[in-house]
Amino acid sequence: MTDFGRLLATLVDARVEFIIIGGVAATAHGSAHVTVDLDIVYGRSVENVERLAQALAPLSPYLRGAPPGLPFRFDTATIWRGLNFTLTTIAGDLDVLGEATGGGTYEALLSHSETRQLLGLEVRFVDLETLIRLKRAAGRPKDLERIAELEAIAEERRKP
Amino acid sequence: MPERFAFDSISLEPSPVVEAYKVDVDRTLIRENLRLSPDERLRKMISVLRFVEEVQRSAKVDR
Repeated sequence: MTDFGRLLATLVDARVEFIIIGGVAATAHGSAHVTVDLDIVYGRSVENVERLAQALAPLSPYLRGAPPGLPFRFDTATIWRGLNFTLTTIAGDLDVLGEATGGGTYEALLSHSETRQLLGLEVRFVDLETLIRLKRAAGRPKDLERIAELEAIAEERRKP
Repeated sequence: MPERFAFDSISLEPSPVVEAYKVDVDRTLIRENLRLSPDERLRKMISVLRFVEEVQRSAKVDR
């Protein structure tokens, strides 16, 4: 099972700039769905990419679903060559995105996020409206159920 | 100055397809979750996940 606490603590302790999106953000907003991975958007500054690579190294990140034995190293060179990575680590599955579908970079999402305590850590996750926009932008049929739930959450919140 | 968010242009107007899915949303669960803090919601989800995993493990042993 994904150790959400360990993944978040690893990133927070290394002062990685990131924003939680996806299922964990949905849970934080009130979704009743269960999620098995952590999705984050990370900042693409030189310093942050360095911090991200160093922070995750002890967790043995590897490409999720790839055959074992590939010469894959999640280091700064790899991060600069790529953008979005779906990783498996010894602490569980982690999606590390430089940009969410439609242009959701760390900088763009920053003003659409909120900082709260999760599992004893101060972390950022996207606000509910932005999470709905992200899901709508992705346009995946499998997200329709999730979008419906997120919109229902927004409606329930608006009720007096 | 925050970067302009491209998603601002994505409409939040009701979609007939999403509205159809909304009929099946369990609002009692949502209302229950909204009474919790974000931290409590995540801890609750993790405990559900642990339970599901435990059930799956037990089912494998029984086979």
